[in-house]
Amino acid sequence: MQAPNGRRIRTSMRILQIAIIIVFVLFLGRLFQLTVIEYDTYSPISERNSVRQENVNPSRGLIYDRNGIILVENTPVFSIYVTPIDFSSDNIPLLAELLDFPIETVETALQRARNFSWYRSSRMFAEIEFEVFSRVEENIWRLPGISHQIESKRVYPSGVRASHILGYLREVSREDFRSGTYRLGDKSGRSGIERTYESFLRGQSGTQLRRVNAYGQGIGPFNEGSLDMAPVKGGNLTTTIDADLQRIAEQLMEGKVGGLVALDPNNGEILAMVSAPDFDISRLSGRLDASYFGEIQTDSLRPMFNRAIASRQPPGSTFKPIMGLIGLRSGIITPETTVFCNGGYWRGRLYRCTANHGNQNLEQAIKNSCNTYFFHMMNRVVNTIGINDWHAMIQRMGLGRVNNIDIPAEQSGILPDSTQMNQIFGRGRWGLGDQINLGVGQGAVAATPMQMALVAAEIANGGYWVQPHLVKSITYEDGRVEPANPGKSKIEWIRDADLIPIRNGMRRAVTEGSGRFYANIQSIPTAGKTGTAQNPHGRDHGWFIAYAPYDNPQIAIAVIIENGGFGSISAAPIASLVIEQYINREIRRQAVFNMMLNFVPRDSNVDR
Amino acid sequence: MNTTWYKDFDWLTILIWVTITTFGLVGIYSATLGPVSEFLPAHIQANFSRQLVWVAISVVALIFIQFTSPRSFQQLAYVVYGVGLILTASTIFVGVEVNAAKSWLEIGGIRFQTSEIMKIATILGVANYLTSRRNIEAVNLKTAIVATTMILIPVAIIVLQNDTGSALIFLPLIPVMLFLSGLPYGISLLMISPAIIGYLSIINWKYGVAATIFFTVAIYLLQKRPWLGVTTLLAGLILVTGVNFALTDMLQPHQQNRIEAFVNPFQDPQGAGWNIIQAKTAISSGGIYGKGFMQGTQTQMRFLPEQWTDFIFCVIAEDFGLLGGALAIFALLLLLMRQLSNAQSMKTPFAQLVIVGVVTIYFTHILVNLGSAMGVVPVIGVPLPFMSYGGSSYLSNSIMLGVCLNLYFRQREMSPFA
Repeated sequence: MQAPNGRRIRTSMRILQIAIIIVFVLFLGRLFQLTVIEYDTYSPISERNSVRQENVNPSRGLIYDRNGIILVENTPVFSIYVTPIDFSSDNIPLLAELLDFPIETVETALQRARNFSWYRSSRMFAEIEFEVFSRVEENIWRLPGISHQIESKRVYPSGVRASHILGYLREVSREDFRSGTYRLGDKSGRSGIERTYESFLRGQSGTQLRRVNAYGQGIGPFNEGSLDMAPVKGGNLTTTIDADLQRIAEQLMEGKVGGLVALDPNNGEILAMVSAPDFDISRLSGRLDASYFGEIQTDSLRPMFNRAIASRQPPGSTFKPIMGLIGLRSGIITPETTVFCNGGYWRGRLYRCTANHGNQNLEQAIKNSCNTYFFHMMNRVVNTIGINDWHAMIQRMGLGRVNNIDIPAEQSGILPDSTQMNQIFGRGRWGLGDQINLGVGQGAVAATPMQMALVAAEIANGGYWVQPHLVKSITYEDGRVEPANPGKSKIEWIRDADLIPIRNGMRRAVTEGSGRFYANIQSIPTAGKTGTAQNPHGRDHGWFIAYAPYDNPQIAIAVIIENGGFGSISAAPIASLVIEQYINREIRRQAVFNMMLNFVPRDSNVDR
Repeated sequence: MNTTWYKDFDWLTILIWVTITTFGLVGIYSATLGPVSEFLPAHIQANFSRQLVWVAISVVALIFIQFTSPRSFQQLAYVVYGVGLILTASTIFVGVEVNAAKSWLEIGGIRFQTSEIMKIATILGVANYLTSRRNIEAVNLKTAIVATTMILIPVAIIVLQNDTGSALIFLPLIPVMLFLSGLPYGISLLMISPAIIGYLSIINWKYGVAATIFFTVAIYLLQKRPWLGVTTLLAGLILVTGVNFALTDMLQPHQQNRIEAFVNPFQDPQGAGWNIIQAKTAISSGGIYGKGFMQGTQTQMRFLPEQWTDFIFCVIAEDFGLLGGALAIFALLLLLMRQLSNAQSMKTPFAQLVIVGVVTIYFTHILVNLGSAMGVVPVIGVPLPFMSYGGSSYLSNSIMLGVCLNLYFRQREMSPFA
């Protein structure tokens, strides 16, 4: 065997060794290049790869009544999120199977998420069953782009409905989402306190850095959580609502149409506020119950309309105390001035009164609700100070304007001056006849129950306008308490002396007048005024305004029962029962209470 | 064997072998049993213990080989080659398909990749053939052609098994073994030039042209034959054009993507470029000292695919940084250098050729594997010798090492004067 000679073999080996060494040196150089020179290029990729920033939803603030009873709290619900860029459409059937939803539902939800953002994670399905949630959780590694979260929804444990006060939450609109504060699927208050105090209740989202693997599975906190930002819990609201009172008021208003506002005349704290019919906010919490939402939106009685602050009805005879104050202040009358009532007032035509009252002074006219007296007075008002001063004075009391209560959708009512009369009737097409009506709260004047409750409060508290409000204080997570700072201002033109005959008249209206049947509570001296507002479309609306106790007012109230007929038999009993509950903490007149639970409005005779 | 046999045994190689194996086991442990391994399928979490079993089997095999006479390798070379060919070919008909490659035989529940056996079989067969010729000089064209064919037959079968990566490993045997057998320098250079020119053309056609000119000049100067120079030049230019044509027109889009991804991985970071970016990121983010054992985020969070096999080096470099990675590379280099120096000191051409063949196979694995991991070679899935998870690969590499050790240890028995 003739082998290649030794020298040749040695050279070949040497060449081979050199070639191998060159390659290995290149590899070592490459390793050096990657780990040292390009470290700054790739290291961030590695960090980005392994750490994901997650949003941590803050827990929404709770809402309490004035005595610390919880009205609104949170309960956990389970949600599925998707980040569209990471989610492959091939996994739609798998996801649908796990969720037990039809494929189209998943596709629709995915498309919706894509429309919001391809890169941010969006809530795909909210409030899914716990078993379904855990099934998805187990299989999450097969579903890149899908994540899950435990969230919360609002629950109302107190048995108080207060639907118009508290308000409901809905998923934020695309515009809110764009603003950056919210993420898709976040909810924000759409009505009531939840809306007004959204920024306080909401709290601040936190962020959490989590280490994740290539499949997006979270595998623990990053850096021991030292870089995480804890969410700031929303502030808790203490409302001015008295839960027990509110519950009784809601029971009394059930089955009726109308509004009720009870407030503390000393500071404007709303103790109870009911608009009937109402709706069940617990059914609007969490996942949208579309059929229920549609039902209450299309109901002809408009249950979502807050009559307590937005219904505009002529105040009828409850307007008379205001007229009395104006008459006294402008010198048209003194408390002793009498007007003779023979069943009506002649001024171009007959303005009817309800009876032949004979000679009436102011106190008697309020007690008997004598129309003649106030027609006469309105005639004098028009001829002396004029409608514009009349308008300005009453507006100071809070009528014909909004009073900025801290829930949305408040209405200003109607309180005309000459400009508005021009708008209503046309320039030069209105006259004395259109104004005399105003003296008894009819015609072109309309007020909300809250405005009338405010009138009662002003008479009770010595002529102070108080800011009606629902939230007493905000308690932040760090323990800081921020009390509400409601306005209170003296209505300059109301003189203490002028209030005396008005109060006496209202007291006597309860003890001797139209309120004596149902509003005269033995244990609580009450002052009030009934009203029956003429309604061209059907039965008259019954009004009642009152305050109590007469000598030390703690509560002022206004109630309207639409189509309730006489205020004395519809609104007055309800108002007096609410007063009784608030002052005595119990209802002693059970018969009246039961009667009002089953109250069916009946026709009132407009001619009487 | 005499009583002082341990003095002749190559303990250094064993030490290197233990070092490399330890690196591999540590890497496999980190990749499959790390702090968050509960997300991995159970059969992958069992990889470490399975690898331990295979290491044990391999140690037994390696020791067993030491008791064989070195002459028997030469005597049985053709038998081994023939049996290897039959086994390899049989997988096409009765093999088990793994990852779309039908290259596995299942015997008694144990799966074995036949192409692994074929490596040592081919080396033995070709070495025996080349050293049994009277006139070995490769100017004897017939000898060169037969030897080349002996290597291309298993390559063809393995390509039919749909395992192109493994088939590629055999190709460098052709120039190296012929070169050691006396193939002229220029011709040898001509044989390896297409690989280098092709590689450079993928990166940039200008590099391809430059390499062509370099090889033309070098080959002409070595052989002083104008026709060889012209051949080199023409072949080189045709190759550069061909590669460019293939890249733009001929290859399937997904193949083009793969090449494209190698040149510029960030063009498609979520798709074709994914492996390359994640592998480079793993190595690079390890820095100088590494993130620590089982602390590599790229590994633990499974951003690397096949991290216990093809990308095992990334695991080591991420956990142990430049220092650990360099040590691993150095250990591999030492293994090859030690075998080559052993071969140099030996007298029998058969033993020399076998050892050089084994070194070539190791080297090719290392070149492709490390090249893929560090993003200098398009990603081709081949294991890193003694490090990557994989029983048949580990056993086959150990057998080859066992043969090399045996040839060195008992070289006197091989000597024509013994």
